[in-house]
Amino acid sequence: MPNRQSIGHPLNTKNMRKLVITLTVIAAIIAGCKKDKEEIDTIYPTINVEGASAFPKQCSIVKRGEKFVFRADLADNLELGSVSVDIHHNFDQHSHSTEVLACTLDPKKTPVNPLLVIKDFPVPAGLKTYQISQEIEVPANVDAGDYHFLIRLTDKSGWQTIKGLSIKVQ
Amino acid sequence: MKKWYAFFFSCLLAKIVLAQNTDVSVYVSKTQQSAVEAAKVSLNTSSTFTDASGTAILKNIPLGSYTLIVYAEGYAAYERRVQITAGNKHIHVKLKPEVTELKTVEINSNTQLLRKNSEARNIEIVDQQFVQRHLGGSLMTTLDRLPGISNIGIGSGQSKPLIRGLGFNRVVVVDKGIKHEGQQWGADHGLEIDQFATGEIEVIKGPSSFIYGSDAIGGAINLKPVTIPIAQGIGGSINLIGKSNNNHYGTSINLFGSNRNWFFDSRITYQNYADYTVPTDTVNVYNFPVRLHRNRLRNTAGRETGLHFNSGYVGKHFKTSLHLSNSYAKTGFFANAHGLEPRKVNEEEHDRSDRDLLLPYQRVNHFKAISRTEIKHETSKTEIELGFQRNFRQEYNRYTNHGFMPAIYPSTMTIPINLERAYDKFVYSGNIRHNFTLTRHQLQIGANADYQDNSVDGWSFLIPGFKQFNTGLFVYDKLMLNNSLILHGALRYDYGYAQFEKYDDWFLSQIVDGNSTIYKKLNRAKKFGRDFNSFVWSAGVNYNPGKFNLKANLGKSFRMPIAKELAANGVNYHYFSYEKGNQNLNPEVAYQADFGFGWTEKKWSVEFSPFYNYFPNYIYLNPTPYHDRAYGAGNQIFEYQQSSVMRYGAELKVNYQLLPTLNSEFLGEYLYSEQLSGDKKGFTIPFSPAPSALLNLTWSPKINSKLSNSYLSIDYRITAAQNDIVPPEKETPGYQLVNVQLGTKLSLNKQVFDLNLQVQNLFDAKYLNHTSFYRLIGLPEASRNIILSLKVPFKIN
Repeated sequence: MPNRQSIGHPLNTKNMRKLVITLTVIAAIIAGCKKDKEEIDTIYPTINVEGASAFPKQCSIVKRGEKFVFRADLADNLELGSVSVDIHHNFDQHSHSTEVLACTLDPKKTPVNPLLVIKDFPVPAGLKTYQISQEIEVPANVDAGDYHFLIRLTDKSGWQTIKGLSIKVQ
Repeated sequence: MKKWYAFFFSCLLAKIVLAQNTDVSVYVSKTQQSAVEAAKVSLNTSSTFTDASGTAILKNIPLGSYTLIVYAEGYAAYERRVQITAGNKHIHVKLKPEVTELKTVEINSNTQLLRKNSEARNIEIVDQQFVQRHLGGSLMTTLDRLPGISNIGIGSGQSKPLIRGLGFNRVVVVDKGIKHEGQQWGADHGLEIDQFATGEIEVIKGPSSFIYGSDAIGGAINLKPVTIPIAQGIGGSINLIGKSNNNHYGTSINLFGSNRNWFFDSRITYQNYADYTVPTDTVNVYNFPVRLHRNRLRNTAGRETGLHFNSGYVGKHFKTSLHLSNSYAKTGFFANAHGLEPRKVNEEEHDRSDRDLLLPYQRVNHFKAISRTEIKHETSKTEIELGFQRNFRQEYNRYTNHGFMPAIYPSTMTIPINLERAYDKFVYSGNIRHNFTLTRHQLQIGANADYQDNSVDGWSFLIPGFKQFNTGLFVYDKLMLNNSLILHGALRYDYGYAQFEKYDDWFLSQIVDGNSTIYKKLNRAKKFGRDFNSFVWSAGVNYNPGKFNLKANLGKSFRMPIAKELAANGVNYHYFSYEKGNQNLNPEVAYQADFGFGWTEKKWSVEFSPFYNYFPNYIYLNPTPYHDRAYGAGNQIFEYQQSSVMRYGAELKVNYQLLPTLNSEFLGEYLYSEQLSGDKKGFTIPFSPAPSALLNLTWSPKINSKLSNSYLSIDYRITAAQNDIVPPEKETPGYQLVNVQLGTKLSLNKQVFDLNLQVQNLFDAKYLNHTSFYRLIGLPEASRNIILSLKVPFKIN
């Protein structure tokens, strides 16, 4: 019953031809699609708050009833997109910052009139580096305490970098 | 081993066809001796019945390859491909008792091969034995071993299927004939399927819209019910499972019974697991180092229960069954980061126990009732399936005043303070199919319809409630041109309608318009409706001249945009994304060419399955460079858009029998995707799995009569780096992984014990999975995991 002749039997020519034709077509499709592939952007933009004039930095303090200037160095390999800033309270210590350095936090407390700032700032088109400089007002009647200063920066390709700083309002 | 002999036997039968006729005798028996009389034996178009000695003679049959079908009352239908040669004209067929399931399949490599070769699309078939051997945290991690299949996972217990890089609503999961409807669109929860309760699992790689309708654009996973032989009395099995990584313990207990006409089958599954372990003691959430207590990912524990009851009647011309099931899971999310959002946790409270579940966690309950009926007519067959499902998912999280939400959760709110999101879905579905034969055409005409009612709850908003109706009509023709050539053709028309509900925020947002600032409740969803229709087709061919087999399929598939794509309008803080639906989206269309080339020899086999896929309007959540202040609370806008996408890839399967007891296998997969238009031209599409290869060596020694089905199997997986990414993904380095499986069937005084032991990630490799939910925060995959499973079947009478 076992047919020893069939072991290692070569492809018959008809099948072989079909196989070769089909494989060639696939190879041609694949090769056809691979050409002129453009370089794509895979690099995230960067937020630098280490510069001498940058503010706030991790654990910075801002004063109630005063204005401060938010200053950071933004950069991207191709083109910057936009910046958004979010200041919200962390009285319940729901979250930590994105930074290595931990700041001393006040005891947990219940918010009464916490400061809330949500602002987005466009970056002029076509820039690879930009120093953002925007005035932010801290009203006199807001709660003092621990806050998060969240910076979101995008580039033209849609990559977003987030930096969450811990700051104190006094 | 038996499987392999059957497989080799079928291969050896292949021989060159000569133009010569012969008489074929077929002996039909129950066991080796007891002959079956009056069994209908058919070789393609000629057929006859067996005599008292169980023999049927088919006269004047031209030599060649045939499909042999034997049908006898009380036995399972038998189907096999045979090669009639001068030396092979006496065939012995052993029938098995009929099983209650509507479609009967004998699980062995031979019938699987036959089915694969008569199907124009690429399919993989596995059974409960595969599940036991490769048991993962969920059904989809178990199936991950198959070439072309990956999963999108979160934690240790949940994952979603990804077929050739397409997932979510692009893959349909069909459970007992009815499309499983959960919350497929979300990345952070799994599939509500109990892997112990599945029978045969069929994975269809490539578009299958023409059978399963919208959503099957990437493929389908068809979970068939467990088959129960008739007249078995009462029996069952106890399955015990233990896993070392997350101190998992679980059990699945089955009890079934059947007489000549009636049967029931029931199962209870319970699983309880602790936080899972990773091969690191620190993870960096952004730059902030989070220490892990004893390498455990805080709060990833879970509990799962599955309840199943099926019962039915099997008659000569009529079969019917009712399947009831409820699956419930309560699982935690990693406490230190929910998606991309860093969370500060009370470590002392969390680390007190690794089995407790604190916030954030989810609860998912899925109830299902499915009725299946099959009516056999003189020359045709009608199948009807009716289903009801309710999927209820709740996500609990500590209230956090994101964006403009009030700092203190108002006491007037009726939504519980910890309920971040809830989705409640009711689905009613029905299918009808009629199968008949017209000369050499095997025709199937069918219709599907389903209605969904969805509501939402929770203090966070992403999509509004909606109602949806879909219906489709199809015709499928399988033409057996000759013994080795089969042609397939299918047409389908679909109509769908979705009606969305209005949603207004419960809190005031600050709107700045020039110099004036006002506060108002934003309207996030308007009341609106959309309807869609679509016409698709598919054409395929199978050519099986002998050892070589070829399959090719060309088709158009479609998918109707889902609620999230049409109407999302909220912030997903897991990704810091403001997701914006687009109510003008068109149904997604895909054209795909699929091929399969196979060659089977006595000692080896090769299967190569390349495909090419083109979407003129792939629906994609595009991260834009912009932020939105009012609706997006300052978050980056992610907008649904359509772009043309090209994808191609292939799977390669090589099997070589080194020794009668030693088998080697190579499984390889490759996929490439590129967006050809739109804002992300040149980029890939999200969740593209990296190229991967798996080398396996399986030793199946014959020890003695007390130890049978013994095996020791080693999987060595090499996955390449994935540098083809699209925002917000990250490049993922390659990795190597070793998994070991071993098991045996121990027979002691007629009592059988099925033992399976598995070691996953044997060398405790620290690696990232590109398609894991936790990839973005750089969480490594689970460390070494030893899985022990014991199955004890029993018989009561």
